[in-house]
Amino acid sequence: MGSSYTKILKDGLLDENPIYRQVLGICSALAVTNLLTNTLFMCFGVIFTASLTNFTVSLLRQHIPTRIRMIVQVIIIASYVMMIDILIKAVAPDIHRFIGPYVGLIITNCIIMGRAEAFASQNRPLPSLMDGLACGLGYSAVLIAIAVVREIMGFGTLLGIALPARELWWTQWTIMVMPPGAFFMLAIMTWFARAKLVKQEAS
Amino acid sequence: MNKKSPVYVLGFMAAICAVFGTGIAIVNYSTQGLLARNATLHRNRVLCRAFDLPVEGTSAEAYQAAVDAHLAMADVGPAADGRTRYTEIGPGRNSVGYTFGGMGFWDRIKGIVVLSPDLQSIRNIQFFDQKETPGLGARIEEPWFTEQFKGLQIDWDNPRGDRIVVGATPDPDPKNRVDAITGATQTSMALMRFLNDELAQIRELNMEMGPLDREH
Repeated sequence: MGSSYTKILKDGLLDENPIYRQVLGICSALAVTNLLTNTLFMCFGVIFTASLTNFTVSLLRQHIPTRIRMIVQVIIIASYVMMIDILIKAVAPDIHRFIGPYVGLIITNCIIMGRAEAFASQNRPLPSLMDGLACGLGYSAVLIAIAVVREIMGFGTLLGIALPARELWWTQWTIMVMPPGAFFMLAIMTWFARAKLVKQEAS
Repeated sequence: MNKKSPVYVLGFMAAICAVFGTGIAIVNYSTQGLLARNATLHRNRVLCRAFDLPVEGTSAEAYQAAVDAHLAMADVGPAADGRTRYTEIGPGRNSVGYTFGGMGFWDRIKGIVVLSPDLQSIRNIQFFDQKETPGLGARIEEPWFTEQFKGLQIDWDNPRGDRIVVGATPDPDPKNRVDAITGATQTSMALMRFLNDELAQIRELNMEMGPLDREH
């Protein structure tokens, strides 16, 4: 049992990572990664939604009519997203003003529905919860790595805190703050991950 | 029960909607106080930026104190419009701000336009709420865009829709023009359209009401 959970976690984080292996959730990966704080809230939203959606879909899998299963999944996902949206708006309104549109778009994030359909609808609740958590963490790991580089290079800050004496030694790369910076970083991350972290696929 | 029967399908959907709808309602209800406080803080921050008010600290109380000390508020115009006028009080302060709003590309945009007392120029513009495309139309909130409105002349002699111009104009030396946002033509044009319309209404309102009451 323990080893299967470890495998689920490893798959979500590395071998089947949603960003660089499945190429899912790219829209938000590009949009919210110019500041680490925004990224952390977005990651929290995706982890929360993916975990609880998988758990709920798995719990109800014997009772959901097959013909309407995708509608039910959307209702479940949308409900959790609305809850997390309200919570972020209440706790961090300034961050919500920036990432609000993307939090709403978690509903259409392919990671969530993909895992609910591919894994949770065929497995027991706890492994499904772990699968959602692993996918959320895998998504978060890539986004956080991109955000750290973009914020440091683009703003000369990390979590809003300026690098020591940055005006003496650092010129900010404006392109890293702008959308092209996200494309460059995502491509570099994908290349690095596929070349170094993932075992070579059999040709 | 047969999971394919219409009764089961409808009953299941109804139950799912009821359970999750209740969940959302509970989360919404339990955060209402916090959301209301955040909304007030946001409004006060926008007002302080719009009128360039001195704020001692960054707390909600500091912003509220600055607004209370420097601005007089009055609901003006027909109740259906819901327009609010903010008048600066204190020595050397004579700006007057009006809330305005209109349909942007996706949804309503709400803001405040701060004017000189004779309504001949805009002193500042800030936005309370907008849901334009992030990275494109949503850039109307960014300082580089709003800074352009500071000191902008309103050309009252022009037709109603061209007293403020957002984007290109044939006039070689315009004093009533700001740059549009690249890639957000629809938002820029919408802003120009409803801002001109709102300015015309504000002037009519001002003529009906007479000189501003400075006795606050």
